[in-house]
Amino acid sequence: MSKNQKRILVLASAFALTFGIVPTVSAMHIMEGYLPGGFCIAWGVLCVPFLIAGFMSIKKTLNEHRNLVTLLAMSGAFVFVISSLKIPSVTGSCSHMTGTGLGAILFGPSAVSILGLIVLLFQAILLAHGGLTTIGANTFSMAIAGPFVSYGLYVVLKKANVDKKVCVFLAAFLGDLFTYCVTAVQMALAHHADTTFGAAVGKFLLVFAPTQVPLALIEGVITVLIIMGLETYAKPELRAIGYLKEGK
Amino acid sequence: MIVIDKLCYNSRLRYENASEKFAFAVITLCICVMSRSTAVAGIVLAVTGILTVWKGGVPVLRYLKFLTVPLAFLFLSTIAIMFNLKQVPMDFFAIPLGNWYLTASYHSFFYAVQLILTALSAVSCLYFLSFTTPMPDILEVLRKLHCPRLLIELMLLIYRFIFVLLDVASAISTSQNCRLGNKDYRTSLKSFGMLGSVLMIRAVQRSNRLYDAMEARCYDGTIRVLSENRPPRKRIIAAIVAFDTALFIFAVWRRFFS
Repeated sequence: MSKNQKRILVLASAFALTFGIVPTVSAMHIMEGYLPGGFCIAWGVLCVPFLIAGFMSIKKTLNEHRNLVTLLAMSGAFVFVISSLKIPSVTGSCSHMTGTGLGAILFGPSAVSILGLIVLLFQAILLAHGGLTTIGANTFSMAIAGPFVSYGLYVVLKKANVDKKVCVFLAAFLGDLFTYCVTAVQMALAHHADTTFGAAVGKFLLVFAPTQVPLALIEGVITVLIIMGLETYAKPELRAIGYLKEGK
Repeated sequence: MIVIDKLCYNSRLRYENASEKFAFAVITLCICVMSRSTAVAGIVLAVTGILTVWKGGVPVLRYLKFLTVPLAFLFLSTIAIMFNLKQVPMDFFAIPLGNWYLTASYHSFFYAVQLILTALSAVSCLYFLSFTTPMPDILEVLRKLHCPRLLIELMLLIYRFIFVLLDVASAISTSQNCRLGNKDYRTSLKSFGMLGSVLMIRAVQRSNRLYDAMEARCYDGTIRVLSENRPPRKRIIAAIVAFDTALFIFAVWRRFFS
């Protein structure tokens, strides 16, 4: 074998290793212990105002309608269960959806921030996705940044009289992509060993793109299917959920 | 249905005092994350691993399998940290690609190794907690730490409802499988969408009925559960304090004096 052939062989096997052994592709939870202490605290602090706002809004809603507490809890459990189920994926690896885009569209962003925090805690302890020290960073990307983008897009597009399916799809898809970009920025801020920050962001985006972009697409499609199903069969239930959004 | 939940109810450390386990896991985790040293990570990985497997009675293979759960994330992010695409080769290795090099430096290589070890040992701390302590016990500890009451109540309800909904979801997906609901990619996507919407409808209906049932049993905003816990034992507290102080001193020594 010439030197060139060897090189190609090495590259090809590296490529195969990268994309061959990907046991579970879940939404991008930053793993336990992956961020240095300072960053864990900083991201946690950044979440606090959003969480307090969410907590206040939930508390206000519950004071007015005490019976919504079970509905709120069911919604949290729903987000957890949806994110723990295997979704059909093209590559055969098992992947999970975030569920936060769907949550934001159904329950509004303020309720999702608190529900997202609880769901992330449960995912860390019961499913080993994410972690306790990185919960601040994960909450920021998955329960605050993503849902706010999803919900904002959903409201704006609905106002602009875009077809409902398109607007749900775009909200869920772009919300997911935004979560992934925020996570890449979080990782790059903490770890840019011997490049600039910008190059590090690029690298993280590039490496996670093959798993995250298809996932976001599938999540968009599934969210549309779920919302359409609900619109067809569950008008009264949707009205009940509507109460959760009022306390913004 | 959730493997970790089953394992922790069968753990031999299940009836130890929950605050002790929580404190041990969280303090060790903090030291491990703050220190960023391979030696500390190695010690923590060994100690928590031995405690979970030997004292807690979790099967070794199960434990090792769970340690590989975050492997995909670890693998991809290590690639992102180690490899660079540059025009000048770096000192560890360099594979030329036209005018550019796919290259890595020794510095980033050691950084990545240290990061992998730290992350794995942090995960083992988390596993110690989740493999020995059931969720209601953890919530009891959070209550003692003055977490807002509304939050604890929501968590308790969500924890309960997760199993209810998982049950419904598995029944639905079994019946979808029976009816060729996953015969090709298009149908399986459609089935998943239907599963999601039906699950939501069921959840809303159930939550209404559940509230009525709770109201009928004098629900006033708090759910009181009996916690079956041993009182804290001095010997164990002393051991935890001794271990974590030693670990802390070792971490500080590694960081500043060596």
